[in-house]
Amino acid sequence: MGSFEVFEHTADVGLRIAATSLGELFVAAARGVFSLVVENPEAIEPWQTVRIEIESEDLLGLFVDWLRELIYRFETEHLLLREFRVQLSADSRKLTADCRGEKADWARHLPDNELKAVTYHGLKVEETPDGWEAEVIFDI
Amino acid sequence: MPKEAYGGPLEQVGPYQWKIPKSYKESMRVDGLIYADEKLIGQIRKDQALDQVANVATLPGIQKASLAMPDIHWGYGFTIGGVAATDPAEGGVISPGGVGYDINCGVRVIRTNLTFEDVRNRNRELVEELFRRVPTGVGRTGKYTFKQKEMRHVLGEGPSYLVRKHGLGTERDLEYTEAGGYLEGADPDCVSDRAFTRGEEQCGTLGSGNHFLEVQVLDRVHDEEAAKVFGLFEGQIAIMIHSGSRGLGYQVCDDALARLRKVPEKYGITLPDRQLVCAPVHSSEGQHYIAAMRAAANFAWCNRQLLMQQTREVFETVFGRSWEDLDMQLIYDVAHNIAKFEDHDVGDGKRTEVCVHRKGATRAFPPNHPEIPEAYRPVGQPVLIPGSMGTASWLLVGQPGAMDQTFGTTCHGAGRAMSRTAADKDAKARHVQIDRELEALGIIARARSRKELAEEQPKAYKDVDLVVDVVHKAGLSKKVARFRPIAVIKG
Repeated sequence: MGSFEVFEHTADVGLRIAATSLGELFVAAARGVFSLVVENPEAIEPWQTVRIEIESEDLLGLFVDWLRELIYRFETEHLLLREFRVQLSADSRKLTADCRGEKADWARHLPDNELKAVTYHGLKVEETPDGWEAEVIFDI
Repeated sequence: MPKEAYGGPLEQVGPYQWKIPKSYKESMRVDGLIYADEKLIGQIRKDQALDQVANVATLPGIQKASLAMPDIHWGYGFTIGGVAATDPAEGGVISPGGVGYDINCGVRVIRTNLTFEDVRNRNRELVEELFRRVPTGVGRTGKYTFKQKEMRHVLGEGPSYLVRKHGLGTERDLEYTEAGGYLEGADPDCVSDRAFTRGEEQCGTLGSGNHFLEVQVLDRVHDEEAAKVFGLFEGQIAIMIHSGSRGLGYQVCDDALARLRKVPEKYGITLPDRQLVCAPVHSSEGQHYIAAMRAAANFAWCNRQLLMQQTREVFETVFGRSWEDLDMQLIYDVAHNIAKFEDHDVGDGKRTEVCVHRKGATRAFPPNHPEIPEAYRPVGQPVLIPGSMGTASWLLVGQPGAMDQTFGTTCHGAGRAMSRTAADKDAKARHVQIDRELEALGIIARARSRKELAEEQPKAYKDVDLVVDVVHKAGLSKKVARFRPIAVIKG
């Protein structure tokens, strides 16, 4: 299982994520993203499934590219996502995710932050005695 | 994030100047120089922004000093409110972090011949109509969509394309936009497909965060001569638009940061913070970013042009007169997140072309500068300083002091004093609704998001009047007029 919390940074906003496995860390981070985009992520209905495949140079790169992809899908396809099944390759450089959600409907979804980008400021993805932890700041 | 106070050296070297000597860090090539008064420097010292000023001083080719304006706050690598000029002939670099994610974020001000008396009873109707017709906030798209081929024109030509091909504005609008709304050397081929896609539905949308569209009343003229040149008078209604290059610009910056990740190493550049990632101006990597950044800047000017056109249409509907009849002329449009090549004195009588990074800082060219519209040359370039929501905004003009001291640059706004989450918690703790609070001040505010209003409340920002006082007294720019908001729409 994984969880996330929002933390503050002068002009921007960050997510601190903890999970028992790396796959769960990616899932919790994704849920964190959509909890920043809309105030009521529980109102996202899992009506549509999209598959996302990403390859990157290393684990940190993959983590950032995953979050970037979610922001991109939201901005260009207006997709709000809620449920995620994430599979990572053994070397943590490839990801396949089945994501469920729906297109934004502003009569039901309450807009919150516009995430401009994922920054490298204070970025970390680390293994801990209890599993995995990550911190990431978004430019908003 | 730990928020530690700055612990390094800081010497007061003038009434409004504070120096970080280059001896502070071995790799500093020049001093850091911060413009602030005693009160503001106290706030500025509270976080690591000054350390970032020192870090920028290590960039190859940096000239004179790593500069910071009184509205500085902690950013990524560079501070917001930072200015750095590098000399390409001395291996000077260009750094995407010195421009920021929102390439050519900026401000434009439009005048009207309406007075507060004409608007006071129509204010609510006006706000509702603006909010209904000007797209704001997360995920909102507008009425303009530019597909691949048209987008290439937007990026390559800026608003001249909108004016000449689509009749969206006038030649006069272009004349009164910084750089004519067009940076030469913009290359759409250097902009990724992802950036194109993020931008295609977003031209003419305000966005979120600190971006806004405000209806303001000119409440005080400080310089009669300049006000007359700009067609300004007390009690006049003006409109201020603050937005940038939307998703397209963010993606261009993001792409550049990824592309340049290993470039400093290639050119033997050691950086104290990897977010200062950069490339020599005269390198293929540097030239690629510059061409993409210019394209994003042109897109941003198109965005503000379309926001202005939509505003003109709303006023036409509400007041039943054409925008020309309402004298809704653009006073000026300035960028405050940009890098430009300009001729400046770099000391010892040497004048050369430098790459001026303005990250949350505004160009402030003095009277008679050839790059400002002819009609404005007697008084100088208008500098537009948005306050935070609910507080005053300013129109200044550039002064010779800016050319002597800061590569023709001044401040850009109030600067945050409180984080977004702290501001939201503050509103919750006070059990107030910010829109009600603003209404008691005579300001009608509409936003898509409740939290947006709380996060952007006046308390969350430094006092813009203090910031403007410093740049005025330091001779960087001169006060012309102060505006107070009566209506605001946000994300």
